[in-house]
Amino acid sequence: MTEWRSGRLEGVRVTEGGDGPLTSVVGQSVLFAKLQDLLAWGRKNSLWPLNFGLSCCFVEMATSFTSVYDVARFGAEVARGSPRQADVLVVSGTVFLKVAPVIKQLYEQMLEPRWVISMGSCSNSGGMFDAYSVVQGVDKFIPVDVYMPGCPPPPHAFMECLLLLQSMVGSERRPLSVHFGPQDVQRPIMPSMRDAKRAERMGQREYPSIDVLPRTDLLSSHFAGQPGGRSKGKS
Amino acid sequence: MTLRASALSDASIAEQSGLLSELMAHCGSDGSLVAVQTTKDGIPTVWIKRQQLRDVLRYVKSELSRPFSMLFDLSATDERLRRNHDGLPIGTFTVFYHLFSFDRNQSLRIKVALDDESLSLPSIIDLWPNADWYEREIFDMFGIRFEGHPFLRRLLMPSWWDGYPLRKDHPSRATEVGMFQLPPDKLDMTQDALQFKPEDWGLPRTYHDRDSDFDYMFINLGPAHTGTHGVLRLVAQLAGEEIVNIVPDIGFHHRSQEKIAERQTWHTFIPYTDRIDYLQGVLNEMPYCLAVERLAGITVPPRAQAIRVMMSEFYRIASHLVWYGTFAGDVGALSPVFYMFNDRERILSIVEAVCGGRMHPNWFRIGGVARDLPIGWDQLVRQFIDWFPERLDDYERLVMDNPILKQRTVGIGVLSREDAIAWGATGPMLRACGLPWDLRKVRPYSGYEQFDFEVPTASNGDCYDRAVVHMLELRQSLRIIRQCLDSMPAGPYTSLDPLATPPLKQHTMQDIETLINHFVGVSWGPVLPPGEAEVSTESSKGQTSYYLTSDGSQFSYRTRIRTPSFAHIQMVPLMARGELLSDLLAVLGSVDYVLSDVDR
Repeated sequence: MTEWRSGRLEGVRVTEGGDGPLTSVVGQSVLFAKLQDLLAWGRKNSLWPLNFGLSCCFVEMATSFTSVYDVARFGAEVARGSPRQADVLVVSGTVFLKVAPVIKQLYEQMLEPRWVISMGSCSNSGGMFDAYSVVQGVDKFIPVDVYMPGCPPPPHAFMECLLLLQSMVGSERRPLSVHFGPQDVQRPIMPSMRDAKRAERMGQREYPSIDVLPRTDLLSSHFAGQPGGRSKGKS
Repeated sequence: MTLRASALSDASIAEQSGLLSELMAHCGSDGSLVAVQTTKDGIPTVWIKRQQLRDVLRYVKSELSRPFSMLFDLSATDERLRRNHDGLPIGTFTVFYHLFSFDRNQSLRIKVALDDESLSLPSIIDLWPNADWYEREIFDMFGIRFEGHPFLRRLLMPSWWDGYPLRKDHPSRATEVGMFQLPPDKLDMTQDALQFKPEDWGLPRTYHDRDSDFDYMFINLGPAHTGTHGVLRLVAQLAGEEIVNIVPDIGFHHRSQEKIAERQTWHTFIPYTDRIDYLQGVLNEMPYCLAVERLAGITVPPRAQAIRVMMSEFYRIASHLVWYGTFAGDVGALSPVFYMFNDRERILSIVEAVCGGRMHPNWFRIGGVARDLPIGWDQLVRQFIDWFPERLDDYERLVMDNPILKQRTVGIGVLSREDAIAWGATGPMLRACGLPWDLRKVRPYSGYEQFDFEVPTASNGDCYDRAVVHMLELRQSLRIIRQCLDSMPAGPYTSLDPLATPPLKQHTMQDIETLINHFVGVSWGPVLPPGEAEVSTESSKGQTSYYLTSDGSQFSYRTRIRTPSFAHIQMVPLMARGELLSDLLAVLGSVDYVLSDVDR
């Protein structure tokens, strides 16, 4: 499969036997790919989430939209208020009895192709809220593509799951038209992350101390963004 | 071994007896005062006959000198499984009214016992308008009727729900009642149940008078809406663009925390409190742990108190920053939220370094905190508080001085001080009306009396003033944190009391008694003596209170959680009436609320 990096579609040779200026200009502005691949690539890099939050997890999801995490790097910062314009439903929080029909309706209002990320323990399985008013997992009434553990999952977990979903969406093949080609959706089989990470996790032997802090600089460029265009760390 | 705190200080006993003699003078003669209960929190508690309830409430509200002007909380208890009666006139259900007097700086709890034959009480909506939702909540959760309530129907649970969840015979777990399914017919039924019908709420569809004749427009906002900060639903009745009335619909975030509290041990409920108001972390744990410690008679060592105060103030800043950014966003300023979330990220870095968690730190323990502060905490804290004030100056120019924001918020959603008190407003909502009421100042807890800080107020009670109060509180929190940093007491971080949980590991392997104590404390949980204690604290959004009833077991018999957001969301129609529809989001934004804090 071809892959687009830093503005180029790599692995595609534009012309043979020449490296003049014309070749490089054409190489930067002309794209050769299979239509299916191109569409999958486009879907993958423009996953627009529905702006719908349930509880604690939504705050961490919103945090990943802000500048420290900046989910715009993956083309997923365009949160849509209307389900008609959204591609991904992130069920970010506890699924309550009273809100379950609302989620179901939002999901049905989204146009295909659509995907669902179940964010956090509550949405995965009810989590710590095995209670009369809580549905024990959103997959009881809508299909889920990615399950994200955590209570709540931190923003980088959200981004990891977004990338997982992207890799799935990028390798899905969907029919190009009702008139030709295979009509079914070819979905890749995604590996279980528990299995994929098992060796690394079990091999962990050293853990940081909880009594001595690592050096953290709160004014470092990691926390980007200063109002008024000032230099940071003036004090 | 630390000394056990006495349940009542001498001053509060004197004050209590003064109030009780006044009450006796009024209602002792006709026998309406059935009993006086002694509780561990020192709040005067009297049992009243249900026939005289309205009479007594009217007396303490309007005739008593220095009256009880606020209905702070109102809920009920299912007493049918209660073992320790202590000679009290306990029936099958008890309804309790928690009143508060600003003049006396005192609470009063009035209880009424109900029997199975007569599960009803007269409504007190005409005395305190905020009784509306509290009475509906009791009807929803216990099935107790309130005669004279105009819209007595379910508040939190959906209208098709069968049973009363907080009754002792109602299942607690979802896994007890079979798997949830949503077939098409159930989907249709539940969607139909959400249909809004103006007639149900006494709202006319049309307007007639001599000069004009028009249809009202009903517009639905939520539960999936970007402006409601969660799953809140409001239906606005509009005449043109002007809001005539609003009907809020809540319960989309009801996590049944009060029911869960009855099956968790005292210790293992602490993580659940984090999620009551998920923006303010340990500020939720504070009132719960204080109430448990009051029940158990545990004295918290000074270092633990100071650590609690410091982390609380960090969370207050974090919560206020989220509020500040989203409020600015609600009225159209989209960039501030990015700066404020950056700062929040810095605070969460500190919190993560100390507690190990970000939003849900699970950091307080019964008798202290989970662990001592890590080595190097002071540098991190100092770096933040040296740097942050300058940032607040920036925000002042960026947000508060912004002419567009001022036009959207000054004079919008005005709340008078009388209305604020009558509707149970607390925290920044109340202080924006000019009343310098902050529990950290007027009823200090956890050592707040040792800190030097001011209580910021504003005067107009509009959306802008609520922002001003939040803004100024950020600086006061910084002041408190600096004092914690400069004079953090030495000593243990948790109490050595046998009921403090979990017991210290180093005391475990001494002999069989310490081992048993540790084993029981960790696996079974501490058994608290029977009794009742209520503690309310100043959380980021107002007064949060935990009213715990122990029946002498390792579980709570009843945990009542009074949250500020519940009271404040109930006031939204009051503030929004007469404003334009676009101002509704400014009003909503200015009310600092979190849906999990509303519905619990």
